[in-house]
Amino acid sequence: MIITEKLIAKLEKKSDELRKVILETCIKAKTGHVTSSVSCIDILIALFHGGIMNFDSENPQWKGRDRFILSKAQASPALYTVLADVGYFDKKELEKFAQKDGKFGVHLQMSVPGAEITAGSLGHGFGIATGLALSAKLNRELNMTFALLGDGECYEGVIWETAMFASHHNLNNLVAIIDRNFLCVTDFTENLIAEEPMKDKWESFGWRVLRIDGHSFKEILESMKDIRSRKSNKPLVIIADTVKGSGIDSICYQPLWHAIAPQGQEAEKARNCLERRRNND
Amino acid sequence: MTNKIIPQRDAFWDKILEKARADKNVIVISADMGAPSLDVIRKELPSQFINVGIAEQNAIIIGAGLALTGKKVFVYAIAPFITIRCLEQIRVECGIMNIPMTIVGVGVGFGYEDSGPTHHLLEDIAMMRCLPNMTIHTMTDSNMSSSFGEIAYESNSPNYIRVYRQTLPDIYDKNHDFRKGLSVLKKSKDYYIVSCGSMTHTAIEVSEKLAKNKINIGVIDAYTIPINQKLFLDTIKGVKKIITMEENFLPGGLGSTICEILSDNEISIPVKRLGLPLEKAYCYEYGGRDIIRAFYGLDNNNMERKIKEFIKK
Repeated sequence: MIITEKLIAKLEKKSDELRKVILETCIKAKTGHVTSSVSCIDILIALFHGGIMNFDSENPQWKGRDRFILSKAQASPALYTVLADVGYFDKKELEKFAQKDGKFGVHLQMSVPGAEITAGSLGHGFGIATGLALSAKLNRELNMTFALLGDGECYEGVIWETAMFASHHNLNNLVAIIDRNFLCVTDFTENLIAEEPMKDKWESFGWRVLRIDGHSFKEILESMKDIRSRKSNKPLVIIADTVKGSGIDSICYQPLWHAIAPQGQEAEKARNCLERRRNND
Repeated sequence: MTNKIIPQRDAFWDKILEKARADKNVIVISADMGAPSLDVIRKELPSQFINVGIAEQNAIIIGAGLALTGKKVFVYAIAPFITIRCLEQIRVECGIMNIPMTIVGVGVGFGYEDSGPTHHLLEDIAMMRCLPNMTIHTMTDSNMSSSFGEIAYESNSPNYIRVYRQTLPDIYDKNHDFRKGLSVLKKSKDYYIVSCGSMTHTAIEVSEKLAKNKINIGVIDAYTIPINQKLFLDTIKGVKKIITMEENFLPGGLGSTICEILSDNEISIPVKRLGLPLEKAYCYEYGGRDIIRAFYGLDNNNMERKIKEFIKK
């Protein structure tokens, strides 16, 4: 993978475009985790549009594909938007998100091409991803497994059962990316139960740890540019510092702006924020 | 010369060892539980044996990931911990996603008799049978255990295998067909006891005692849930009364299952459920299974008396 300014410019354009799709999808549905979705959308764009992941949208079950597991499945609008954008299904399906005759709802559904699993209850996807990575090792297959976790999800005890397991089994074909936006539902993580120093925690569980800006395509791409040729036996966790609601200043980085789609004037304000972002205001 | 009875646990894992040798996709995940055949798998086929430590929730979700890629996964732990402790993982991975994997729990009922109520498993039938896609198998003897290994290996949906800790004597022959889901061990035109596992052995004893009093009660071993309704309804056609016996709390257990089948099929046959009343809650009595059963009123004499009273009514 060669990281060029042209590639980054392309991804940044996508970043504006898909944020708008996520927002409009949720406004129309009057539901959906908008802030959680735009928090991780740049990571998803980098994975699917930045040349990191191997996949075939016309053949979702292609055996050689890398697996992407959205463990923080409340961000399904982000994944569905990206999957539609890369051709897994018709973009028009997004207009029926969480509505009558729609094919998917607020959380993740395995029947959607590219979604891989059904999820919504936190802490499950990471373990499933680890099982997928172990299976690839046992079968001597070269595909990678990527799991996107929420920082709030890291309160689930089973996350740490899995973390211990993955490093013990030297699953260097597994990449966990933590959407570290410092917000849970009602409050900031460090007010609830402090999660920092997160890097030290993961290192002590036997993982190689990188910490990046989760909205910088340069840093996201750099963190995974040698992902298939790492010399370490350790699984890799990338703690991606993000902003919950990134790009939509009217609702970003605010406790309780969770699982809500803005409506009425709030929706207009949110649209204007994205417009200003697009115009670099 | 008498044949040595193989413990049900070992008969099951012997079968899985046989399968694992022939199929490298067979993976056993243990939450730090052992068995002689598992020792062989661990030594002979190390890549097919994974000890996750005492981490049952992780065992289920790692197993789910492996099974999604076509591995034949068997997850093994002490029964209350591999069911209730990780019920939500089982619900999502097996009930919702229908990922084919086999959960093997050892020590159902009062298997860990003197370990106290944390180790007794008295709610699992109710909890597991309300999950879509799940098939529950209760071992009554070792020939059945071996057959369950075969059935689970071939299955394309989730299975839960209930294993007793104590060795139960063999009552079936090796070629018995367990795919039918239930077996009629003793026929009757008037009364039937429906039971499974360890209680089926008790049901046989009680029915033999009652036979001496000229009361002919049949015995149905209902080892697979959901129950084969057609076979069950054909068997009980025209009988006067049914008794169910189980080492589970009564709500949602085997007796409830039978009542639901009768109700749904609009069949009016009185049913007496013998099991653990919720009012008795959990048991802190020690000294073995018989003492614990007596605490709940499920000792043989008591059950015999209750059945006689029920039949006389």
